[in-house]
Amino acid sequence: MAVIVVSPAYARGVRAGSIVANTATATYDVGTTTTTINSNTVSLRVDEVLDVTVASRDANDAGVAADAKNQVRTFTVTNAGNGPEAFNLSALSVNGNAFNPAVTLVAIDTNGDGIYEAGTDLVVANGNAAPVLEPDASYTVLVLSDIPATAADASRGEVRLSALAVTGSGDPGTVFAGKGLNGGDAVVGATRANADAKGGFIVAKATVVLTKSATVVDPFGGTRGLPGAAITYHLVAAVSGSVSVGGVHIGDTIPDGTTYQSGSLTLDGTALTDAADGDAGAASSSGIAVGLGTQAPGTSRTVTFTVKIN
Amino acid sequence: MKSLRFCLLACAPVALIATAPAGPIQLTSSVMVEKIAMVNGHEQTVLKAPKPVFPGDHLLFQTDYKNTGATAADHFVVTNPVPASVAYAGESTAGAEMSVDGGKNYGQLSALRVKTPDGQSRPARPEDVTNLRWTLATIAPGTSGSLKYRGMVK
Repeated sequence: MAVIVVSPAYARGVRAGSIVANTATATYDVGTTTTTINSNTVSLRVDEVLDVTVASRDANDAGVAADAKNQVRTFTVTNAGNGPEAFNLSALSVNGNAFNPAVTLVAIDTNGDGIYEAGTDLVVANGNAAPVLEPDASYTVLVLSDIPATAADASRGEVRLSALAVTGSGDPGTVFAGKGLNGGDAVVGATRANADAKGGFIVAKATVVLTKSATVVDPFGGTRGLPGAAITYHLVAAVSGSVSVGGVHIGDTIPDGTTYQSGSLTLDGTALTDAADGDAGAASSSGIAVGLGTQAPGTSRTVTFTVKIN
Repeated sequence: MKSLRFCLLACAPVALIATAPAGPIQLTSSVMVEKIAMVNGHEQTVLKAPKPVFPGDHLLFQTDYKNTGATAADHFVVTNPVPASVAYAGESTAGAEMSVDGGKNYGQLSALRVKTPDGQSRPARPEDVTNLRWTLATIAPGTSGSLKYRGMVK
C-alpha cells in the first residue's frame, strides 16, 4: 500500500514551539454525591512551517538614464512561517529583456526610507543569509544595479530578488526533521519557502537637435551676400526621445561684420521684444537668447532673427 | 461527519493516552491528526498520532468515558475546552452545546453572539468556540462512549 501524506500548509499560524494542551472534565452524580473528574492532558507541540513572501514595493518601472549607477529597486521580504527564520537573499538580472541591469549591492533598508545609505543600511552579500525575521515580520530590501551604457531609449530591464529559507525549501510538505525551532521539525509550507519578485527599469533618453539655416535678401531683391543684405537665421530645436527635457535654451551670437536688426527676434513666428523682460527672448547687438524651459518629446521650436551685412 | 463515523468504527485511540485516577467513571482524552492521504490511488482521510503538529493540521479531539462501577452515574456532564491555538471546525458529536465566553454560558452556536470591538455583537462563528459540553442523563454500569470534536491548528 502506497501512502503519500499531503501536508497542509498555512502561513502565519500558531508560533512554532507552542503547546496545544487539552484536558476534558466531567461531573456526574451517584446517588446524592456529585463527583468531578479530569481526563488525562494531551499535549501537542506545534512545529515550524517555513514560508516566505517577496513583493516589489515599486508601483512602476524606474526611469533611468543609460549608464546610470546604483539604481534602486525595493522589495518587501516577509517571514510567512510560524517560527523565527533567516532567508538567503539573491538578486540577479532577469534574462530575456532588452538589457540586463548589473546588480551591484543588496541591502536591508534599516531606516525604511527606500534609499541606500552606506553605513546605515545593512549590506547582505548577494546570495547569503540576511538576519533572522520573526514570524510575520518583514524588512525592505534594496537592490542596486548599474544600467548598461548601451541601453537604448525606452528599453526595459529587470532585476529579481529571491528569498529562500535557510532551514530549507522545496515542495510543500517537505519535512526537515529536527531542523525547526528548539529542535522540532520544520516543514515547507505552500510558498515552498522560496519566493521572488521582480523590479523593472526603463531607460529614458531625450535628444535635442538644433538646426541652423539662413536666408539672404540683398538690396536688389536677390539672395547675394552683399553689404546691406539682410540675413535671417532660423534656429530649430527638435526634441526627441521618451522623456521631456528641461532648461532648453537657444542662443546665438551676431556674426562679425553684421548688425542685429532691432525687433526681428521671433519664436514660432511670434515676435519677441528685444528687452530682457516678460517674454522668452532677449536680443542685443552681441547676440540673442531664448529660454524655452521644459520641452516634451516631439516638440519643435523655431527661433528667427535678422542681421544686416555692414 | 463521514470521517467521524469512520473513526468511531475504525480507530481506537492509540497514542497519548493516560487514564484518570480510578473511580466509577473513567475519562480519557486523546487527539489525532487527520491527514488526506493517497491510499492505493484514492484520497482517503487517515488518522495519525500527532507529534508534532503544524498550523493548518486538522485535529480530532476525543474524550472516551466508561462506567466501570456497579451503579449508574446520572447527570453526566463532560466539558472539553478548545485550546487557544486551535479553531473549532464546527463538527462535533451530536448533542454538544458550545460556549464562546470561556464556559460561562452554553447554547447552540446559532444562538450565541460575540462582542465586537465597537461595542456591538455579531453571530458567533465556529472559530469563536471556547468550550464544548455534552450532557448525558445517565450512564449505566458497564457502558461507554466517545465524544468528539474537530479543530484546526491556527
